[in-house]
Amino acid sequence: MILVVAEQRDGALNKASIEAVVGAQQLGDAVKAVLFGGDLEPAAKELALSGVEAVLTVSDAALADYTADGHVIALEQVIAAESPELVLLPHTYQTRDFAPALATRLARPIVTDCVGLRREGTTVTFTRPMFQGKVLADVVVEAGPPWLATVQAGAFKAEALEKRSSPAPIVPVKVEIADGAIRQRPEAPFREARQAVDLTRADRIVAVGRGIKGEEHLEIARGLASALDAELAASRPICDNGWLPMDRQIGSSGQTVAPRLYVALGISGAIQHVVGMKGAKVIVAVNKDPEAPIFEISDYGIVGDLFDVVPAIIKELSA
Amino acid sequence: MERESLDVDVLIVGGGPAGLAAALRITQLQSERGGEPLSVAVLEKAREPGAHILSGAVLDPSSLGELLPDFVERGAPLAAEVRRDSVYFLTRRRRLRFPVTPPPLRNHGHYIVSLSRLVRWLTGQVEAAGVDVFAGFAGAELLFDGNRVIGVRTGDRGVGRHGEHKPAFEPGVDIRAPVTLLCDGVRGNLTKQLLARLPLEGRLPQVYALGFKELWDLPAGRIGAGTVVHTLGYPLRSEEFGGGFIYTLPDNRIALGLVVGLDYRDPHFDPHAAFQRFKQHTMVAGLIEGGQLVKYGAKALPEGGWYTIPTPYADGVLIAGDAGGFLNSLRLKGIHLAMKTGMLAGETAFDAVRAGDASAGQLAAYRQRLDDSTVRRELYPVRNVHQAFASGLAAGLAYAGVALLTRGWWFRDPWPGEAGHEHLVKRADYYGSDPPPEGASSNAVKPDRLTTFDRLTNVHYSGTRQEEDQPSHLIVHDTDICRTRCIREYGNPCTRYCPAQVYEMVDDGEGGRRLQINASNCVHCRTCDIMDPYQIVDWVPPEGGGGPRYEGM
Repeated sequence: MILVVAEQRDGALNKASIEAVVGAQQLGDAVKAVLFGGDLEPAAKELALSGVEAVLTVSDAALADYTADGHVIALEQVIAAESPELVLLPHTYQTRDFAPALATRLARPIVTDCVGLRREGTTVTFTRPMFQGKVLADVVVEAGPPWLATVQAGAFKAEALEKRSSPAPIVPVKVEIADGAIRQRPEAPFREARQAVDLTRADRIVAVGRGIKGEEHLEIARGLASALDAELAASRPICDNGWLPMDRQIGSSGQTVAPRLYVALGISGAIQHVVGMKGAKVIVAVNKDPEAPIFEISDYGIVGDLFDVVPAIIKELSA
Repeated sequence: MERESLDVDVLIVGGGPAGLAAALRITQLQSERGGEPLSVAVLEKAREPGAHILSGAVLDPSSLGELLPDFVERGAPLAAEVRRDSVYFLTRRRRLRFPVTPPPLRNHGHYIVSLSRLVRWLTGQVEAAGVDVFAGFAGAELLFDGNRVIGVRTGDRGVGRHGEHKPAFEPGVDIRAPVTLLCDGVRGNLTKQLLARLPLEGRLPQVYALGFKELWDLPAGRIGAGTVVHTLGYPLRSEEFGGGFIYTLPDNRIALGLVVGLDYRDPHFDPHAAFQRFKQHTMVAGLIEGGQLVKYGAKALPEGGWYTIPTPYADGVLIAGDAGGFLNSLRLKGIHLAMKTGMLAGETAFDAVRAGDASAGQLAAYRQRLDDSTVRRELYPVRNVHQAFASGLAAGLAYAGVALLTRGWWFRDPWPGEAGHEHLVKRADYYGSDPPPEGASSNAVKPDRLTTFDRLTNVHYSGTRQEEDQPSHLIVHDTDICRTRCIREYGNPCTRYCPAQVYEMVDDGEGGRRLQINASNCVHCRTCDIMDPYQIVDWVPPEGGGGPRYEGM
């Protein structure tokens, strides 16, 4: 059995949890999901429709606010009770916070940031990027189960979810959390003054690079983004210049995205940018330089001046 | 602002071969001699031990064996024993093998290593001996009481691009110690601060070189481990100092690189392009064809030798390793000297703490130890070599030969030398009335992206990561010079000698150009600090933990 550790905040399920379920389903084993927190009903109902066999809900006042200790203690007990062969977690900030402690508590290795899972006989082979995505390594855990692994955002597509016709049962589970066992005191979640954009959730992205030349020309990219109902993003030089905020930067020093459509305007395709978007389903590139590396990974390439091409596309879209 | 502070007996800045050897030597003296245990702390700016360590590297194991006689049993990662040595002179299309390998380049009994891995292992040994290694903390500033060094302030964390404090702001920590060991590497920022404040400079200015290195995985069976190849000549001209290297590792992996003297004349010379040309030479191209680039890195190294070494002690402070210029440029080796000087500095620091006296008078024992040791015996005879090479390859080779017979004596001793950047010739003087365009490289290469690459792609392979939202750690004191004088006089050579595309001249929107600093590309090589013709660039450490990830280099 595979146990997927789902993540919710204020009742909303993190999309990455569904992707982890998809990864688990690919292995062909029974999949259960577990949720921690206070009021879990909305997230549990959503999860119950995702094709899992059961949704375990661990609702406890001590877990209402996220703490690493609380998650580790509760998960340790759930894992002991359910004895899953594999525990799969989405590679989120929250997972990165508590999963190493969980692995240490269970004295097990953890395979992080996996982009592929494969069953081979009695074991599971994990595929994970190394050298900043240059190399994919196949990893087999020599110790016996439970194996611990996290999956990279976008590695499994939520659309590939094998849903069930009827919702899975929601099973409340009790855990013991001793007084004083949680050593962290949560404070209100920190929010950037400017609402941070989560580009990883975007279905469509229009990204601009140096070819846009000046801040005043960003309007043309905004026009295309709104015509496509897409988020606006950029390569590093644009954010470096302060033309767009840093949370809109895609690439090795920005966000890693895998939207259904990625339109790269005036982006040459330096490897630092490409590692952040090569998972996109359809890549469209517009660039003046026919030898720009971006064309090597594009599904559709347009060699031309973006100042001619983009207005034409916008016109076509709004026609 | 409230700062935390920490008191230790000996503070070592830099977790490289010198700093770690010093730390280990102190713990050894401690267990030999007993008494009140000394507290020793090592500051290392890399997040992981060894992550900022880059070297060829062929290791002369003499110092390691002296420090840890059972280093093999302890599992020191020595990739391969050297089995074959050769030296070639390259022309554009040909290679000529030296009939005999010159004695300084014979490596029998030496090991090909990944210095990054060796340092990682050595860090484990040091930690097991009870030393605190603070990885991810950069020494930002020396703390003085008058002219006495009393410790180091680590860099602040959580400072935004414009100097504002971000929510996670943490001020740096003051670490105070009676003795501070500066092992902060080539052109170390703290050693630079010390030399700027106290009259410790050597007799001649230090001269540097820039080394490029790549790791390649080759198709199985192409070449076995244990081969050491050094080259002279192409792609460098006789006016440029340097040479190439190929070291073969186990598992079909090789290290290859090019070292270029940072005292070249041609303002349009491009060291990174020279490295690409090295890989295009038939000798190298045939080897790496069909292979995979695994890792890239670049780092400066001190080449000046004996006369450029500063007075390595002052009140409360000692200098060891590359920070002091302890490198034998004729043998192309510095690791064993870094370790040896670290050990001697460690011994001196131990005695000083025990004596309760860390004055310059007490710490002068370090100089005596250096003079009585293999350090002087090895470096003094070759004291004029690099300066001779500055007069051209032929003069350098001739002098290197003569020096072997005269133990380094020459009619002019010291052979005069100046700082490398002073060799750079203005465009008008070098090219006359017809210089190349400002941004051009005189030896440009169009990368094929299979075996030759542009800088930006190469940077990716260095694994460099740095917080983007922080102030630039490359401080250019007057960027007006870049767009007014430098562009005209030298054609902005920073855009060519920086191996990581940190410096770019971009359109300023008003018909001119302006300097753009891509600080987060920086691989911490220090070339800009060294080579800038106007000497207006200061390299300071970025937020601790940032920088390249040189695992395996």
